[in-house]
Amino acid sequence: MEIRPAARNGSAILEVDSVVTRFGRDVVHDGVSFAVERGEVVALIGGSGTGKSVLVKEVIGLLRPTAGTIRLFDTDVWHSDRETVNTLRRRFGMLFQDGALFSSLTVAENIAVPFREHTDLPLELIPALVGFKLSLVGLPPETGTKMPAELSGGMRKRVALARALALEPEIVFLDEPTSGLDPISARAFDSMVRVLSDSLGLTVFIVTHDLDTLLSIIDRVIVLSAGKVIADGSVDRVMRMDEPWIRDYFSARSPAQERA
Amino acid sequence: MNASRDWIQHEIENGADVLYLRGVWRLSNLVPIVRALQSLGLAPRSHYVIDGSRLEALDTAAGFMLFRHLADAGCTAPMLSARSFDPRHERLLALVRERMECPPASARSRHPGLVRHVGAAALEVWRILKAHNAFVGAVALEIVALAKRPRLFRVKETVSQFQTICLDAIPIVALITFLIGVVFTYLLGLQAQRYGANIFVIDGVGLAVCRELSPLLVAVIVAGRSGAAFTAQIGTMKVQEEIDAISTLGLSPIQVLVLPRLVAITVALPLLVFVGDLAGIAGGMLIAAWQLEIFATTFLDRLHGVLPLSAPVVGLVKAPVFAAFIALIACRMGMLVARDARSVGINTTSTVVQSIVWVIVLDAVFAVVFQQLGI
Repeated sequence: MEIRPAARNGSAILEVDSVVTRFGRDVVHDGVSFAVERGEVVALIGGSGTGKSVLVKEVIGLLRPTAGTIRLFDTDVWHSDRETVNTLRRRFGMLFQDGALFSSLTVAENIAVPFREHTDLPLELIPALVGFKLSLVGLPPETGTKMPAELSGGMRKRVALARALALEPEIVFLDEPTSGLDPISARAFDSMVRVLSDSLGLTVFIVTHDLDTLLSIIDRVIVLSAGKVIADGSVDRVMRMDEPWIRDYFSARSPAQERA
Repeated sequence: MNASRDWIQHEIENGADVLYLRGVWRLSNLVPIVRALQSLGLAPRSHYVIDGSRLEALDTAAGFMLFRHLADAGCTAPMLSARSFDPRHERLLALVRERMECPPASARSRHPGLVRHVGAAALEVWRILKAHNAFVGAVALEIVALAKRPRLFRVKETVSQFQTICLDAIPIVALITFLIGVVFTYLLGLQAQRYGANIFVIDGVGLAVCRELSPLLVAVIVAGRSGAAFTAQIGTMKVQEEIDAISTLGLSPIQVLVLPRLVAITVALPLLVFVGDLAGIAGGMLIAAWQLEIFATTFLDRLHGVLPLSAPVVGLVKAPVFAAFIALIACRMGMLVARDARSVGINTTSTVVQSIVWVIVLDAVFAVVFQQLGI
């Protein structure tokens, strides 16, 4: 039943190995394992409450798993000293569900934060780079002077992506990037992610519910259910699997699928 | 010059200008790359071939800087051609070129000058006062609606608010007023001892604590404790769109959120003031015994004789008025929160400041009014 593409050959940028997570008596993950290769666009799907966001937080070092190991860039995230983990943090970007922009800073200041904190760039270069990052995610430069509270949901996500991409990360984690966006903005966001991934060689790890995202830009999909990985493979192969949850999930889409 | 050749080399091949990019063009090397680009001395508006055969790595920041410097020299897209790039780098450069028509985005917040700042603050005060006025009207209308249909009153919510405002505040209120009673009696005692007027300390402590100190201090404590909590609770609900949800369900946010708090605090504050009266007098009694050798029986006997009933009554009458002002300001400021975390903080601070100012202003008004009435 389980499909495992060439994972353990050493080129993995992220390896999750038998991760167990318990909150009190609730078992969220019961031995989750998978790997992500460099340059892949991978989606993690699963019903609500299957611990997708929890898993991402464990991977980026915000929440300690009960057991198991997580290796990011060949470094064990949970058995390294702070210094090493902080160096790792400059090599990945994270887009939180609601953007998590700093509400007391303007958009431009938000994007400038990683440059100011983690690089020794001269101050006169930063505004130019910030302007470029804004247009990279498809926002006009006037957005820079706005406060996050003045932005629409789609714009917040784009700004957050610009901040996540500021330090030219090797991998970005996107937590439900298209939720709360209209279909047009959502598709635009998807194609932007794909273009960035193709041209920057960026590895993208997306937690999503969005079938359209899945069918348009994803190389590989990992399905989480009842604390385990129940499927791991290309979208086509996973779609054809005979598993109740997966069948229900994809059948929500089938009429449109036939039209296409 | 030598160092700059590590990053970019200008060569002429068959009459064409060729720029060879070299090494790791990444954000971490951006400073030397920019320096190399600056020292290149590009001829304005001429054709260049950019060669990527010697390039090891490239990211968007470095690609952007390259095009920016070329564009500054007047070399725009039609005058440039790329060759021998890794296909991935070529895609990246194409993306950068497509997205780079952007002026720099200033990272500075807008900092207004002194005059503008003062003007904006004055307008803000005016806006808040107007909003408060309208809010008092809206609350009054809801109270009328409540009087017509008393079933609408939320008893459970009111009781739970009463518990946090009143019962949970008793220890802190008692402690503060007790300490003030101690300090006041001690300082008054020092003066009185010089004239052998020890016994009159009791008159002073009774009057001051019951009429002024306890109502004022308790109101300030409640403003800081419960007023701030009201604004933060309602403000957070506003941020989460819970207030809109309440309205959508056909309920009135004022009925659901404001009236229970208003009623609870209006009942709670006089009770807390009474606790404060007792604790303040207890503090006075302790110091009177210790410093002036006036013991409890004498103290209470004298207090009973000299403290007019009007003194604690005045204190207890002021309390509900203070309470209503605190509740209205706090709830209003909560409703005025914008949709971000910063605004919750700003409005909570503003609630505490406004409440304390109003409590003191009202106290002054009461002092004058009661004086005129001869109470």
